[in-house]
Amino acid sequence: MGADLQGRRRRANLQGQHVGFNKKSFCRRLFQQGAGFSIIDRMSLPILSLKGIYKSFGGVKALVDVSLDLVPGEVVALVGDNGAGKSTLVKIMAGVLRPDQGKYFFEGSESVVHGPAEASAMGVQTVYQDLALCNNLDAVQNLFLGREVTGPWWNGFRISRAECEKRAKGVLKRMRLDSISLNRHVGAMSGGQRQNIAIARSILWEPKVVLLDEPTAALSHAAAEQVGILVRELAGHGMAVLVISHDIHNFVLENSDRIEVLRLGRNQASFSSSEATGEQVVNSMVGGQKSRNLSG
Amino acid sequence: MTLVLFFATQSDVFLTSRNLNNLLIQSTVTGIIALGLVFVLLVGEIDLSVAAISGVASVLMAMLVVDSELPIPLAIAVGVAAGVAIGAVSGRWITLLGVPSFVVTLGVGLVLNGVQLIILPNTGRYNLLNTGVEKLASTNVSGFTAWLLVMAGIALFALARATSTRARFRAGLPASMAGGVVVPVAVVAALLIATLMFLENLRGLPMPVILFISLLGVMSYISSETRFGLYLYAIGNNAEAARRAGIKVERIKIMAFAIAGGMAAFGGILSASRILGVSVSSGGGVGGGALLLESIAAAVIGGVSLFGGRGHVVGALFGALIIATVSNGLNLMGVANEARLIVTGLLLVIAVSIDRGIERIAAPGR
Ligand SMILES: Nc1ncnc2c1ncn2[C@@H]1O[C@H](COP(=O)(O)OP(=O)(O)OP(=O)(O)O)[C@@H](O)[C@H]1O
Ligand SMILES: [Mg+2]
Repeated sequence: MGADLQGRRRRANLQGQHVGFNKKSFCRRLFQQGAGFSIIDRMSLPILSLKGIYKSFGGVKALVDVSLDLVPGEVVALVGDNGAGKSTLVKIMAGVLRPDQGKYFFEGSESVVHGPAEASAMGVQTVYQDLALCNNLDAVQNLFLGREVTGPWWNGFRISRAECEKRAKGVLKRMRLDSISLNRHVGAMSGGQRQNIAIARSILWEPKVVLLDEPTAALSHAAAEQVGILVRELAGHGMAVLVISHDIHNFVLENSDRIEVLRLGRNQASFSSSEATGEQVVNSMVGGQKSRNLSG
Repeated sequence: MTLVLFFATQSDVFLTSRNLNNLLIQSTVTGIIALGLVFVLLVGEIDLSVAAISGVASVLMAMLVVDSELPIPLAIAVGVAAGVAIGAVSGRWITLLGVPSFVVTLGVGLVLNGVQLIILPNTGRYNLLNTGVEKLASTNVSGFTAWLLVMAGIALFALARATSTRARFRAGLPASMAGGVVVPVAVVAALLIATLMFLENLRGLPMPVILFISLLGVMSYISSETRFGLYLYAIGNNAEAARRAGIKVERIKIMAFAIAGGMAAFGGILSASRILGVSVSSGGGVGGGALLLESIAAAVIGGVSLFGGRGHVVGALFGALIIATVSNGLNLMGVANEARLIVTGLLLVIAVSIDRGIERIAAPGR
């Protein structure tokens, strides 16, 4: 029953949001040229889907029979206590880790992701909890790491620094991050600046799926709000967004459509953000009384 | 600079152009080996077998020339290829099993020392006098050809600077003709022309110096302009981040070891050509001896970090020059061999300590 109903509500939600944040949108033009709205027509079909995922590290069972669907146009918040397995799940989606067991579907077909490069080529971009930046490289080099623009045409080895820098400038400007120096080593930057660079890197290539592992941990309240708006905006343009956060009240309930709770490596509960209360979510995270489970 | 002044006051031979010429040639072998080593250091590994590779490759080359009577370019190519292969095998082993590179390459170095003894004839040496190999080190390019070479080098550098500056202008990025092209080209041109004019007074540009500077140019381009070069730095700083960015970390590391092996082999061959033969002590003798120590010291003194991800290939030039200056200067002062070893050793220890200090400042709390 659920899928159709949820889909309709989401669509309604989305339109509502749009009116809402057009006024304060700081990155309205972010995907002006790219992504069309056609994707939204098929958006109730999951683009990335995990079924029955298991993952252990030695004796630690990090994930036990976890399933998760990401749908274009929807922001899913993944929440759970420390060590619940959230980052592990993200790394599996990003191709960094391989599940011990379970299936990975992308755009409807089962796929085996052999590494981060493959996931990134499919259109899955990730902001890792540890940011995965190289401190000895500058912002431009970090933004393009692994996907440098090369050229001229007769020299495929040479990095076209000017082209990279131009595009980096564009994306940072649209994120209102013009104050970040392009030529300074990111090791010398503040935690918030580094986090913003990691986020900018994930949306540089107009991905289909964006996974953000605690993107607001080091950010000021205002900067975190901007990330929230960005996240909405990405979904508004048809991307599937997964965001991990511990800030249930200010960030998760405000900016997500659906909340998935992990507890001790298992699916604990699933909420619709517009209907859930912070108390319900927190209770299910720490394993209080059994919460209303929408996914079941 | 202070070193040059110090030795100039201590010995009146030091500043003669003949001695400085000597010094320059002395530094090329160490410099070329250090140049390859830089790539391995950048990814945060180390290769302690470079001296042994240089020994084995030079003996192999000598054997092919003397016993098999192979044409010299072919013998040299085989020697260098052997170095590349040895480096690649070490690199593969290290990345495959995740074992520390210093142990693996230490072992490989000893194995190669053994191999070197086996392939040497019973006399313990191959004489390379009058085989033609000696021409590699003893040829001097002078007059018109020398100027042509230097001008070609300057032109290439100017071209590289000009294209990237033009690309910046086209992309609407801040760029300046003076800072991007004129000043760097003027500095490089001045250095090259000064070297040329200085050496012209003697017998022209020695081949080893030409080779070293050309290799330096190529390696500098690779490390600062290409994807491979950038990935060396990325891996050296944060290998896991590089892996998540889709970089084939293992492959890049293997290539770094292969380059180090190839450069070490070439350095060894150049050394054989200079001293007109190979013997048990080619490649610094068992364990690599002073040659290994000086190559590592050259890279580290040149500012390349042992912790990976920091430094520039040009450091190999400066490091090698400093080491050659010290050993040459002490030699002229009549200091005994043992004192020279002690000074070089201390220099390495001090350089590493400075390296650690910089690392602390750059990344506190590590
Ligand atoms: N590489 C690893 N090796 C061993 N154990 C690991 C590894 N990565 C994660 N774990 C374990 O798996 C479990 C889940 O870790 P994970 O990082 O996914 O938690 P998390 O939900 O992201 O927590 P947090 O909110 O603190 O970020 C933990 O018990 C952790 O110790
Ligand atoms: Mg985590």
